Amino acid sequence: MPMTGPVLTRRIPTFPYGNPRDRRTVWYDDYVKSGGYEALRRSIALEPAAVVDMVKDSSLRGRGGAGFPCGLKWTFLPKNYEGQRYLAVNADESEPGTFKDRLILDYDPHMLLEGIAISCFACRIQTAYIYIRGEYHHQARILERAIAEAYGQGIFGGRGILNGACDFKVDCYLHRGAGAYICGEETGLLESLEGKRGWPRIKPPFPAVKGLFGKPTIINNVETLCCVPFIIEHGVEWFKSLGCASKIGGPPSFGTKLMGVSGHVQRPGVYECDLGIPLRRLVEEYCGGMRGGKRYKAAIAGGVSMGVLGTDQFDAEMDFDIGRKYEVLGLGTACPTIFDEDTDMVMVARNIARFFKNESCGQCTPCREGSGWMYKLLCRMERGEAKLKDIDLLLELAGSMGAMPGTTICGLADGNNWAVRTIVNKFRSEFEARCSPSFVPVTVGVA
Amino acid sequence: MARITINGKPCEFTGAPSILEVALANGLEIPHYCWHEGLSVVASCRICLAEVWAPNPRSGELEPIPRLLPTCQTPCGDGQVVRTDSPKAIANQKAVMEYLLINHPLDCPICDQAGECYLQDYSYEYGRGESRFEEAKIKQPKKDVGPHIYLYSDRCIMCSRCVRFTREVTGTAELCVVGRGSSEQIDLFPGKALDNELSGNVADICPVGALLDKDFLFTQRVWLLTKTPSIDGLTASGDNISIEHNQGRIYRVKPRRNLSVNKWWISDEVRYGWKFIHSDQRLTEPRRLQYGEQVGTNFSAAYDEIDERLAAAREAGAKVAALVSPMLSCEEAYLMARWVRAACGEQSRPIIGVGPVPVNGEDRTFPPGASPADRNAFTIRAEKAPNARGVRRVLKGLNGTEAFEFAKWLEAIKDAEVVLLTGNYPSEWVTKDLAKALSRKCIFLIDTLPNDLTGKANVLLPGATWAEKSGTFENANGLLQAFEQAIPPVEGSRSEGQIFADLLARRAASTNGHGAPRYNAAAVREEMAASLGLMEFIRDVQAPAAGSFIESDMELVEL
Repeated sequence: MPMTGPVLTRRIPTFPYGNPRDRRTVWYDDYVKSGGYEALRRSIALEPAAVVDMVKDSSLRGRGGAGFPCGLKWTFLPKNYEGQRYLAVNADESEPGTFKDRLILDYDPHMLLEGIAISCFACRIQTAYIYIRGEYHHQARILERAIAEAYGQGIFGGRGILNGACDFKVDCYLHRGAGAYICGEETGLLESLEGKRGWPRIKPPFPAVKGLFGKPTIINNVETLCCVPFIIEHGVEWFKSLGCASKIGGPPSFGTKLMGVSGHVQRPGVYECDLGIPLRRLVEEYCGGMRGGKRYKAAIAGGVSMGVLGTDQFDAEMDFDIGRKYEVLGLGTACPTIFDEDTDMVMVARNIARFFKNESCGQCTPCREGSGWMYKLLCRMERGEAKLKDIDLLLELAGSMGAMPGTTICGLADGNNWAVRTIVNKFRSEFEARCSPSFVPVTVGVA
Repeated sequence: MARITINGKPCEFTGAPSILEVALANGLEIPHYCWHEGLSVVASCRICLAEVWAPNPRSGELEPIPRLLPTCQTPCGDGQVVRTDSPKAIANQKAVMEYLLINHPLDCPICDQAGECYLQDYSYEYGRGESRFEEAKIKQPKKDVGPHIYLYSDRCIMCSRCVRFTREVTGTAELCVVGRGSSEQIDLFPGKALDNELSGNVADICPVGALLDKDFLFTQRVWLLTKTPSIDGLTASGDNISIEHNQGRIYRVKPRRNLSVNKWWISDEVRYGWKFIHSDQRLTEPRRLQYGEQVGTNFSAAYDEIDERLAAAREAGAKVAALVSPMLSCEEAYLMARWVRAACGEQSRPIIGVGPVPVNGEDRTFPPGASPADRNAFTIRAEKAPNARGVRRVLKGLNGTEAFEFAKWLEAIKDAEVVLLTGNYPSEWVTKDLAKALSRKCIFLIDTLPNDLTGKANVLLPGATWAEKSGTFENANGLLQAFEQAIPPVEGSRSEGQIFADLLARRAASTNGHGAPRYNAAAVREEMAASLGLMEFIRDVQAPAAGSFIESDMELVEL
């Protein structure tokens, strides 16, 4: 059953259910009036384990990019552990083309805070840190005000959740990043929270065992946590009626998803759709079609690190199976960037490589050196000064780095690798057109 | 015992050591840059990656782990098979070597590290021979980071060993990483300089030529150096060092790994404290007082005068005192005390004391807050003499009672007429009290550097520093460690051991006519054990590990 009305955007007017011009930040009073914090009230009447079970049963998958099952992640916390635990909320939304969390932070901050309170209650976490991207100045101010409201209304701190309706006390703090993409990587985020350089940590130990300040820590994306109140409020079956099951026998993609569309479309913006919506429908129905009536050429699946969908992949379903079905890394943040027929794919590749070169934290050799090399190589290619053999070198470099082949600690290099590799593989003729042939000197022996 | 097979060699292990540690312990080489035994694991250089096959817990069959694993971080698992020589692992080694070199200036001909550089060694062993990098290299600055260290950022491979050293060992955290991606570099924390008591170690742990010792810079190519294992001769720590020298000149001192003493480090004091050995102030000629003025002489004439003076004193029943410097080795202390006792005869016992033991402040343990017993703790000793305990041990073994400490000895020598002193301190050691106490006495002095007494001594003999002789020091923890002679004594001087061996031989010669033997520390240790029952000198003395003496790589070829 597809969604019949807005879920995450219930209080945020969004096409086709409302007019974005009517958006305004929903503060505590309006939030409560529209049914807010009701899910929290219901949760604390349950056993914490029952809340975890509901999230687990709903098959809610992480909305931050990897799509890891949220309930399963929660169960990784050590059992019968009485000490301090942390929740780190990943609001370091800095993937190019991704701006879905910003919508929530801008207009419905209490939805996030309610999700945090429920998750903390369910996982017996006493302290939550919201790590917000440094560039989100305005959103940080909104969150600060919302957190202050929540403290004032007894959601956090004080005698316990909801003014002591439950004797479990949760504290929530906002921490602003300093503008590094890598701090959106979960362990890089933890390092940054601890006040260190945002270098991703080697795993194991995993954060659920030894995370922030060496204590068990859960790291969840903003949107993931925002889904939790709805699962509590409407039930697991309702949540599973949204979205779609896997068509290739993998784990399902239930629920709705905020999809931020950018690029060459008529109406770029964030839309809420069922997971599994074909990209073509998203562009044509929600975004008003391609800009200027141009033809679709390619799309970044969900943030630049996921790679691109080719010209023949316009009908790709936007669910967590997209990676296996369409030769991209994954759904990512489900915020596609659409390119029309006039786009120079070499330039796209160069631009993406530039981003990764700048954002590589510099810890692992292959990513640190390889990202710079790839960028320089692509610049040369764009100028038309490269040889054909350089395309193969580019593919070799891309293939040599990443956490998937095991040559780097975190997945940043995988993003670089997949972005460049998918662009070259799917649009190789454009690259070849820019390169001159490589001549192999052949000497003929003269007797 | 659990077993793991690394590159075809079965290795046994207990606990959960990393694959790299087990490989190294079994004599297998796995290339590594960022991993250092004494520092935390970051697994960031990525050259140690291996392909691993692990047994399936249910069926027990070996199954490949799809991704390469860093051997420095991955704990060994029973039954695993590890290969760093599989096509995938080799491809990664080649890729990492190529990556490390794309922004490296390749200025080996003018780089101090050349010859002991891991980039060179691993390039040769694991690299690809030629680079496919055609773009412009990133140029990084050279930086003067502290009193002892230069940082050539352009050669840096960002292994972050130095950063971890300043955080985890010294606790001073002067170094940090700034910037991102390939323009990242090591830099000083704003407003700080790399100025701590262990700063020289960062040049040792740097696997490439990025951190350089200012003192050693451009003075010698490393393949010309002979490395002799030695023991710190300046403080009571007994740090294991390697004296690196060429043609009788020391060029640098480096730490030798010894987990029970100095771990992997030495203090800057020990590293740079050897300079006085090559001071042009060194005493190089025996001198004697003639009509109130010192004149040059030779050793045998000086020995004659000493023997005559002592014989006269014995005739007259005058008291003789001797001061054994804590800078001397145990063997030398033994020979000295034995000779003085023999020279004084049976009737009159000499007053033997231990020379002043300089102390500077208090012992300091790194990292701050660590206990000296911690596995990675490093202690700088306040006691600035290498062998006060060893000298006391020997004198007690010889006399049966504790020797006089310096202050007591000063009181005890009031009516002594002949005083034999040994110095060998790297700086001025003669106190006003001592100078006063010695006025109008007959002084025999063996020393290395000029001081208040060298001009007044009736007989002055030039001694040799610890680098110029072999012996045994007992450190502050009571550990006896033997060291070998690195360089010959400076022209004209003789080691104290040799001087007393000569004097003893002269006494013996008057009875059986044998000449002076060459001073041999090992033989003296055996003699101490045999004659004094100090069995520790054959049982407990730690000798340098095999292979720590390294001849120069240089081969002279006749053309």
